[in-house]
Amino acid sequence: MRHRWLLLLWLWLCLAPLVGAAERLHYPAEPMAGAAPGALVVHGALDLAYARPLLAAFHERHPGIEITYRNLDTLGLHPRFLAHPDEVDVLMSSAMPWQYRLANDGHAQPLTSPEAEAWPAWARWRHELFAFTFEPIVMVVRRELIERFGRPESHAELLALLERHPEALRGRVVTYDPERSGAGYGYAIEESRLSPRYWDLVAAFGETDTALATTTGEMLEGLESGRYWLGYNLLGSYARAVVDDTPALELVVPDDYALVTQRLALISGQAPHRESARRFMNFLLGEPGQRAIATATPLGAVHPALDGPGTAASLQATHGEALRPVSLGPGLLATLDDLKRQALLTRWKREFTRGGTAPP
Amino acid sequence: MTRRDSLYRRLLTWLLLPMMALGALMVLQAWIEARHTADRAFDRLLEAATLAIAEQVQWQDERLWLDLPPAALEMLATDAEERVFYALYDARGRFVTGNADLPGPPHRDGENTGAMRFRDLLWRDLELRQGIRRARLEDWRARERFEVRVAHTREGRERLAGELLRANLAYILGMAGLAVAVVVLAIRGALTPLSRLRRAIRARDPRTLAPLELPLPRELAELRETLNELLARMRRVKANQERFIGDASHQLRTPLAGLSARAELALRQDDPQRWREALEAMQATSARTSHLAVQLLSLTRLDNPEYRPELAPVALDELARGAVRSHWSACHRAGIDLGLEAPDIPVTVAGLDWQLEEALANLIDNARRYGATRITVRVTAAPPTLEVEDDGPGIPADKRLLMLRPFHRGSDDPDGSGLGLAIVDGIARTHGARLRLDDGSDGQGLRVGLHFPEEIA
Repeated sequence: MRHRWLLLLWLWLCLAPLVGAAERLHYPAEPMAGAAPGALVVHGALDLAYARPLLAAFHERHPGIEITYRNLDTLGLHPRFLAHPDEVDVLMSSAMPWQYRLANDGHAQPLTSPEAEAWPAWARWRHELFAFTFEPIVMVVRRELIERFGRPESHAELLALLERHPEALRGRVVTYDPERSGAGYGYAIEESRLSPRYWDLVAAFGETDTALATTTGEMLEGLESGRYWLGYNLLGSYARAVVDDTPALELVVPDDYALVTQRLALISGQAPHRESARRFMNFLLGEPGQRAIATATPLGAVHPALDGPGTAASLQATHGEALRPVSLGPGLLATLDDLKRQALLTRWKREFTRGGTAPP
Repeated sequence: MTRRDSLYRRLLTWLLLPMMALGALMVLQAWIEARHTADRAFDRLLEAATLAIAEQVQWQDERLWLDLPPAALEMLATDAEERVFYALYDARGRFVTGNADLPGPPHRDGENTGAMRFRDLLWRDLELRQGIRRARLEDWRARERFEVRVAHTREGRERLAGELLRANLAYILGMAGLAVAVVVLAIRGALTPLSRLRRAIRARDPRTLAPLELPLPRELAELRETLNELLARMRRVKANQERFIGDASHQLRTPLAGLSARAELALRQDDPQRWREALEAMQATSARTSHLAVQLLSLTRLDNPEYRPELAPVALDELARGAVRSHWSACHRAGIDLGLEAPDIPVTVAGLDWQLEEALANLIDNARRYGATRITVRVTAAPPTLEVEDDGPGIPADKRLLMLRPFHRGSDDPDGSGLGLAIVDGIARTHGARLRLDDGSDGQGLRVGLHFPEEIA
């Protein structure tokens, strides 16, 4: 499956006349009677594998609109937007603080449509910023660990496990490096707000010489190969597919609390194709787009009318009490504060090295 | 298009216009008040947020350090989802950290720390409310001053102000409606007596002059009293006229009855000499009667208040001379000395020559009839006066005013009509002159003078 995607990508890269973008999707306009012509430029931090079904579904509904999608990493996305705010119509990213900051600074334009009005209030901000996915942060555990020590179902059990068997788990645990990964930093700041015992957990990670990774993919790879027994704070949407394919792995949504991260979409205030951007957002927030997310991607649909596998509703039904979606509010701005970042990372490193052993 | 003037409309306009102005003022005040209240309430948020931030400012690594509490930013955003900005500046105004380079206070004032300042700000096309807290590190190593600036957009404030204003507006509108209703009812009530008076006047018999009897408020009662006074005057005038008509018909009936009796007596006889005597007597009586009729005519004309003749310059001395000339022979025959005293210069007044001639004739005639032996017609220049003086029996001072009434006679003179002095009085009034009755020059007789107003030429 994945090889076929790669092959297609490679073919497309060879054929594409454009250069400069590492990953692009392009859907040319198909002139048709009754279809509104137009163009749409979407920039996102969303892997092509996940963006493709979404864009394809949109293209099917609006074949007259020429779609250009560029997949950029979360760090490159926003500087590029600020440098050229008029080249992009819709911006989608999982870097919630950055998206929030752009909207807060007035770079987004409001969307008033039936779809936007019906969107749940907890998943939008000012009709400018819309959370369109629902992805829990999870643990992935290998069979070996479950067989020896039992399955940790919560943060407390994980902490107890780490503190009881530091020698057995030495080098067997992997998590995000908050210094090198924006997502890891974001989770750290949210977790430190949720519970002061988070620091005990960080100290326990330090005691067991926990490996630090920069992406969920890196962690999954180590878990698949058996190098790690436990991965902490993996993006659930990415982990789900791998865990489903690998019988040795199990996915754990902690039952005391589980952060939920959401991808945020906004329409650029200087969008060159305003009408297409509105169509795309209405599609993204409407039932068709959300159904595409629920069925063709593991991102998790938010639309309140949808339930069943791959939706927020089904997750809330099983883990309702524990889910903690990152709130869409000015608290996100604190995440981007340089001094705050330095303070948190200093604390994090201090706790991580409390036991006297240096991190790898 | 001219609108009919109406008391009702006038009152309504002058009561409702100021009320509307007052209402507009109240609405304006309510709006300002609502804004102030909303600002006061929301400024507490800015104050709390700056305080929460200021408490986290530390001195670390030889610089200001802030471990920003996310809750401080959360509290700046209410249900209205305001945009939030914050920044920390050191003592020299250098940016330490924040999500926006917010402008500082317009003018730096003194060193007072701990003070909180608020202001409205237009920044990057956003309407912001800014709060600035100046504080100082309370650290035994460093006592660095710093400034926390936060700002948020006004949506929450506007929503609250709108709610407050709507509540106030409903109240003001209710009061205004009530006030308008009360004013309209009050004006209607106050104007009711006026229509009552109008109905009472309209319902009257046009021939009656009885006073209006009708309870009215003070202002209209004055009007009613004035009307009643007018009616009373009209009643007096009417009574005078009725008496005059009665007197006049009585005066005319007497000579006519005499004529009839004389004719009847003469018809019983056959002697032409007697017929002749009777005819002569009848002629004299009819001449006197026609004279009486003429006098009555001129008196009614003079009494008519509508009569405003065109006055022309009349030379009084010429007039007096003419009168003496025309009466001299008759007087001479009766053995009466008729004389004239007039200045050499001409004396001119505004008047009607025929009326003045008649007045003179009446006066000379009167003097003659009441047994004067010497009559003097006198003209003086300053003030212009026309006088007739005689040496007859005169009139006692207390009866002089009575003499001016028609048909009042000083003695039982069968030839006199009793109209002479009344006519002279009427002529004097027509000329705006004053009629004076005095004693003669040597204490006896009568001096009647017409004192004309000074010419204002």
